[in-house]
Amino acid sequence: MAAYLKIHGITIYLSYIAFFVASAAAVLYLIQDNALKKKRSGVISSRLPSLSLLDKLNYRSISLGFPMLTISIISGLFWAKNVYGIYWWGYNSRQFYSLVVWLVYAVILHIRLSARLRGRKVALLSIAAFFVIILTLFGTCP
Amino acid sequence: MDIAVIGINHKTAPVQIREKLSFSPKKAVEANRLLKESLSLEENLILSTCNRVEIYVVSDRNKDYVSGIKDFLSRYHGLDLSEYEESIYVRKDKEAVEHLFGVVAGLDSMVIGEMEISGQVKKAYQDARESLVTGKVLNRLFEKALNTSKKIRTKTLISQGAVSVSSVAVRLAEKILGRLDDKRALIIGTGAIGEQLLMYLRKNNVKSILVANRTMEKAQGLAGRFSATAVPFEVFLDKLADVDIVIASTGAPHHIIHSNDILSLMPRRKQRPLFIIDLAVPRNVEEEINRIDNVYLYNIDDLEKIVNENIKFRKGELDNCFEIIKTSAGNFMDWLVSEKIKNEN
Repeated sequence: MAAYLKIHGITIYLSYIAFFVASAAAVLYLIQDNALKKKRSGVISSRLPSLSLLDKLNYRSISLGFPMLTISIISGLFWAKNVYGIYWWGYNSRQFYSLVVWLVYAVILHIRLSARLRGRKVALLSIAAFFVIILTLFGTCP
Repeated sequence: MDIAVIGINHKTAPVQIREKLSFSPKKAVEANRLLKESLSLEENLILSTCNRVEIYVVSDRNKDYVSGIKDFLSRYHGLDLSEYEESIYVRKDKEAVEHLFGVVAGLDSMVIGEMEISGQVKKAYQDARESLVTGKVLNRLFEKALNTSKKIRTKTLISQGAVSVSSVAVRLAEKILGRLDDKRALIIGTGAIGEQLLMYLRKNNVKSILVANRTMEKAQGLAGRFSATAVPFEVFLDKLADVDIVIASTGAPHHIIHSNDILSLMPRRKQRPLFIIDLAVPRNVEEEINRIDNVYLYNIDDLEKIVNENIKFRKGELDNCFEIIKTSAGNFMDWLVSEKIKNEN
């Protein structure tokens, strides 16, 4: 039982860190992309890494965070079953919003893997997804 | 005892004169010896690059070494003094020292802050020292000049920012695509700036280069020079799916790459970023293309604007550089005075 909680706790933190890194990379990507598109002066001398690197960092972080989140949700369900006797206690809970977060990142990963979108729009999506995480953390009860 | 510099440079003399007065490194060694013997100078050093010919001397103050050196130059190169006398400048003592420090740091170069000059000076100095035409004073002067130039490069931003169209384009490519050694480039047309840019891309280890041109022979010629592959002009749109950098440099009076071409291409490219450089005038690439996600279009004016900004930026750094030069030159002059006193005693 404690094992479930431990796994749940560790993986949820790791996934949040990974998603945070992904969204930070996305913010930098948008800044750099905007400067390049608008041909801003100083774009060459800026210290930001290349678009390609930021895009990769975003993608890899999400690819890492997503399985962590998956493990975390599953272990959370088992832990709930053991403690409260049920897997699921309804909507408007952190449980429910965790699934929403999971779904959002699943969509992002799918879009990126199928090469339907790339770059700016994926960056925007991953920033939006991180907002959902923040809402989940502060807007719901455990 | 005087320290002086007598010379001409790109600001005072056109290339027609500079080339007549220049010395190859080998000739400079020979000329240095001749000069020292014929004028019995204490120390001398010839610095000859494509932008300048300068002779640094240490000589007895009472001698008319300036006209001696002018005569020597005329005799050596078989050139009438009247042809270039107006281009000659003479600087002495602290002014000469500051001049050299500025030259070595690239402040006197055509492209301010360029770094090639300090290597050329180093070579000229080493050659002269080895052939024993320099002595205590010039040796210390040139060591100090090279050190000061290093200091200027680390403490100021004089060498920052790309200052040619090609180098700006390559830096932009790196900002967009990251490493270039796994990227492919396609050049359409065989214009001169395009060729220069290809050279830069090669230097930066781009993985492969395709060349397309309306006349296949020209494409093959250019491809041969850059170990690139020539492709028929008709298929260049198709090739856009595989490359990461496109250089458009044709003489076509209209657009050859349209927004729709690229839009329909992007799914095939799996949305991989594409950097398009339009060097042609009239432009070869439709401007709207820059609005497409993951496509970045720069034309010749965009690149030149960045070049000019960087040059302006470098000029803004000049004051800081001169500040450093003044201090270093002051230190050198103090040393020189103490040496003179030592010698007199």
